Amino acid sequence: MAEPILEVSGLVKHYPLTRGVLFKKQVGSVKAVDGVDFTLDRGETLGIVGESGCGKSTVARMLVSLEKPTAGVIRYRGEDITQLSGRALKAVRRNIQMVFQDPYTSLNPRMTVGDIIGEPYEIHPEVAPKADRRRRVQELLDVVGLNPEYINRYPHQFSGGQRQRIGLARGLALRPEIIVADEPVSALDVSVQAQVINLMERLQNEFELSYIFIAHDLSIVRHISDRVGVMYLGRIVETGRDAEIYDHPTHPYTQALLSAVPVPDPEARERRERIILFGDVPSPTNIPSGCRFRTRCWKAQERCTLEVPALAVPAEFRPAGGPAAHDSACHFAEEKQVVPPEETR
Amino acid sequence: MLLEVRDLHVEFRTRDGTAKAVNGVTCSVDAGETLAVLGESGSGKSVTAQAVMGILDMPPGRITGGEVLFQGRDLLKLKEDERRKIRGAEMAMIFQDALSALNPVLSVGDQLGEMFVVHRGMSKKDARARAVELMDRVRIPGARERVKQYPHQFSGGMRQRIMIAMALALEPALIIADEPTTALDVTVQAQVMDLLAELRRELNMGLILITHDLGVVADVADRIAVMYAGRIVESAPVHDIYKAPAHPYTRGLLDSIPRLHHKGQELYAIKGLPPNLMNIPPGCAFHPRCPMARDVCRTDVPPLYEVTPSDGARGSACHFWRECLHG
Repeated sequence: MAEPILEVSGLVKHYPLTRGVLFKKQVGSVKAVDGVDFTLDRGETLGIVGESGCGKSTVARMLVSLEKPTAGVIRYRGEDITQLSGRALKAVRRNIQMVFQDPYTSLNPRMTVGDIIGEPYEIHPEVAPKADRRRRVQELLDVVGLNPEYINRYPHQFSGGQRQRIGLARGLALRPEIIVADEPVSALDVSVQAQVINLMERLQNEFELSYIFIAHDLSIVRHISDRVGVMYLGRIVETGRDAEIYDHPTHPYTQALLSAVPVPDPEARERRERIILFGDVPSPTNIPSGCRFRTRCWKAQERCTLEVPALAVPAEFRPAGGPAAHDSACHFAEEKQVVPPEETR
Repeated sequence: MLLEVRDLHVEFRTRDGTAKAVNGVTCSVDAGETLAVLGESGSGKSVTAQAVMGILDMPPGRITGGEVLFQGRDLLKLKEDERRKIRGAEMAMIFQDALSALNPVLSVGDQLGEMFVVHRGMSKKDARARAVELMDRVRIPGARERVKQYPHQFSGGMRQRIMIAMALALEPALIIADEPTTALDVTVQAQVMDLLAELRRELNMGLILITHDLGVVADVADRIAVMYAGRIVESAPVHDIYKAPAHPYTRGLLDSIPRLHHKGQELYAIKGLPPNLMNIPPGCAFHPRCPMARDVCRTDVPPLYEVTPSDGARGSACHFWRECLHG
């Protein structure tokens, strides 16, 4: 198997909480990301799902070096990028680009589309000589399905879906190898979401991109991802190929998350088993001991308060193999199908 | 019939022209029934709800025609002080964003109790006791202590429960919920939707659920009205519409959602963009995006044709609904 293009291990981001103005002292920390490991292969899409506050966006920001990790290693082509600075960091950044969630605030309203998409070339002039830039930007507009003549327009003249295309064009400008997309379609209407997802898949094939696709919408993540990681309170609790996670989930949180997804099929209303979790996600300043999901878990026992479950293939599934044998951080992992098979219309 | 909206028209006068937000909406809800109004942003679903509630900003908004019959009375003909008595007591609304819908400087108990003080003339002390009861009813743990807290001290899901409690306070006959779970996480969404459905059953209320989420609709609605460019383009019992949509827009929406089971195939995408409400296309407003459009669609506005056979009243505003239904 090919070497992974990105390897993340032990990634941690804690934000200190301080008290006092003159004599600041640390009184605690927000454990936004608390030990995350994953790999990304070339041309692959890794989906990361989780609810708000689980740390998925913080992971994204560390991958593109917008945040410095508290601990851990991010290896891009074997090199740890968390320790880089200056010219070396700049070179790496060129290859890992980001697409943001909100197409309304992530584009500068006072710049034309041409300037927005061309701005990466100002920072990395070696990619395109000045004379060539306008043509490149027009090519990019064409690639993402916008009229190249729109180059002098401003962001407010575009709809949400078109703006997200502009965001994608900017992400592609430097011909990166990896695109980190943080909730790229959640601000868009359903009919426009499909257009942008299709575009992202087309671009992936055309430019051999690897995607980290972050979202809270499980159906969209499944549609686009080869592998999926489910995050809860700063950690990945279950990870595997998409069918393993969706059809054979073994972690209770994944099961609850899947069972809560509204299914566009009224016939399934009666057939579905709903797992309704009680309570809210605990605060990341005060993470429960042992298994961090235990406060909302219906299976929790004493062992869960004492021992942190490791993210590994649970022992009971190891001998048999099959789709249930994937990494799951639960002491009492068991397979459960929660999404009823859907009849095709 | 609890609520009947007939041929409602709403426009917004702006500097750049007149935006026709609602163009002849007709729909109805019975006691104990859940009607889902489905549409994308700009389809006029929220404006319809605001006109029914009587909370439309006027100006710039203007109701230019139609009737809103609530328990037989035309609300649009009532004076503001008469409407105020109905609002909150007989029909109530749940908003999408609970944090901005609640008053940040009043305690939750004061805001819930206000309903009883204003509409029922209760003393503050009695109203406080009723507030605690309501919070228990929507299953907020520790209601007796938390009644003194302020909105920012509650999580998103808990705030939405407070909104529900406030809407239920005077046991109205009709509740309009505008995207009640859109701002919440999936697991919390499920909790809140379940609670809402259960209370609706218990109190036999009519519920209008405004949403863009086809999954949520399938989970709770009895009937659906699909809106596009300020009109209802399809209206049907929920099972019918998911089995076989009778309007190409509904079909497009259903086909464009990624389903957990269908993978690997390209998603169906409705081409183009929703129309600008200042400049709605002539004929059928959907024709520039419609794969089935023919000449007649460019010139004639389709009426809401009766669709048969069906388990209940069903209508489609497509000249070629038969083709759509069968193909």
